Amino acid sequence: MRCLAALLALPVLAAAPAAAEENSERLFAPCRACHSLDPEVRGLPGPNLAGLIGRAIGGDPAFDYSPVLRKAHNESLRWDATRLDAFLADPAAMFPGLWMSMRGIEDAAERQALVRFLAQPSSR
Amino acid sequence: MNRRQFLSSAAAGMLATPAFLRAAGAQEGPFRVKYYPVAAGSGPHDVTPAPDGTIWFTGQRIGRLGRLEPRDGSFKLVDLGKGAAPHGVVIGPDGAPWVTEGGQNAIARVDPGDHQVRLFRLPEKNAYANLNTAVFDNSGIYWFTGNSGIYGRLDPKSGDMTVFRAPRGAGPYGITVTPKGDVWYASLSGNYIARIDPATGNASVVEPPTSNQGARRVWSDSNSRIWVSEWNSGNVSMHDPADGSWKAWKLPGESPRAYAVYVDDKDKVWLTDFSANAIVRFDPLTEKFNVFASDRPGANVRQMDGRPGEAWGGESGTDRLVVVQTVAPA
Repeated sequence: MRCLAALLALPVLAAAPAAAEENSERLFAPCRACHSLDPEVRGLPGPNLAGLIGRAIGGDPAFDYSPVLRKAHNESLRWDATRLDAFLADPAAMFPGLWMSMRGIEDAAERQALVRFLAQPSSR
Repeated sequence: MNRRQFLSSAAAGMLATPAFLRAAGAQEGPFRVKYYPVAAGSGPHDVTPAPDGTIWFTGQRIGRLGRLEPRDGSFKLVDLGKGAAPHGVVIGPDGAPWVTEGGQNAIARVDPGDHQVRLFRLPEKNAYANLNTAVFDNSGIYWFTGNSGIYGRLDPKSGDMTVFRAPRGAGPYGITVTPKGDVWYASLSGNYIARIDPATGNASVVEPPTSNQGARRVWSDSNSRIWVSEWNSGNVSMHDPADGSWKAWKLPGESPRAYAVYVDDKDKVWLTDFSANAIVRFDPLTEKFNVFASDRPGANVRQMDGRPGEAWGGESGTDRLVVVQTVAPA
């Protein structure tokens, strides 16, 4: 898995929206095995996720993406909150053949909290 | 070393059987490749043969453990629980499949008879461990890895579990046991392999010669040598703990990405290469590669296991299991 990694194979426990918000840092914890939000960190198994929202899909120039993400990049697709939310719900459905493997996050509140966390410049 | 030769995979011939079968010509073999469709959207991740001839597989995307009957292509699914996201599966000394069940942060035992699921949960302080892969050592202890930076042991009889923090944090991935009884794991993010002392649980890091190689999975051969699939470098490497030596070979093709490694009963080494969308067989004696490209794009075989004459994998991107049958030359 070229992962956002095994990562977000999160326990999809039912949680209230407020609790999900509070836990957004924890929600990202499994992702840290392969990804960083610190733009200075390189060489992990997954692409750097600093500044993800608004960025081109497959947009980390230092990373060797799977063919399906290279194709999305060539089609000038970009990450926004809506697309990221749909991606996190079932990554392989959006991008079949994705090298990263994870089960999608079923809980919408947890997903949205994670999207907000990834969108915050202060998140590291 | 680095003597690279390979023979490209052959054209397919489909047969109307429960599985899709094709003969792979122009190989060292001959070999036969068969495909078994399983549940749509299941994303079969890891596989392991059962003593009764069936094949267990983890359906990570749907939270199920699957059981394929290769004789007729039928399969069953076992629900592992709410939010389940199973990654690895191995057969225990009790004949049951044991699963690294990341979604519930637990080890799951599935009874092979009635398919009842028993969970052994990790301590709360080890939440989000990203459970990855496991192996039973020669004394029946279950050793597992968590990609978030842990490894651990579980005594299946008592249920006692101990979790250890891995050197260099995140990264523990594949794990193997040698005929001598040593347990080794690979760290993908940590770029090392390590031997676990079963008495103390301490892990001793061994550095592969290629820096930043991305050691993803490991498998022991019959001589207790450790074979490593290196994701970043695209190498297959071999470490002999007896003398501390290493060898490495680059997989064929452009920018290979070595994901899985499995060593069969003849000490032939099976790998998967995501760049080539292929299963790759490496013969350590001749240093030649055989390449078995999938007949569909994005196959993404993430792990292999087998039994004499058969090397199995899960095509996570096509929702099929694949087997390469090795047939002795006439």
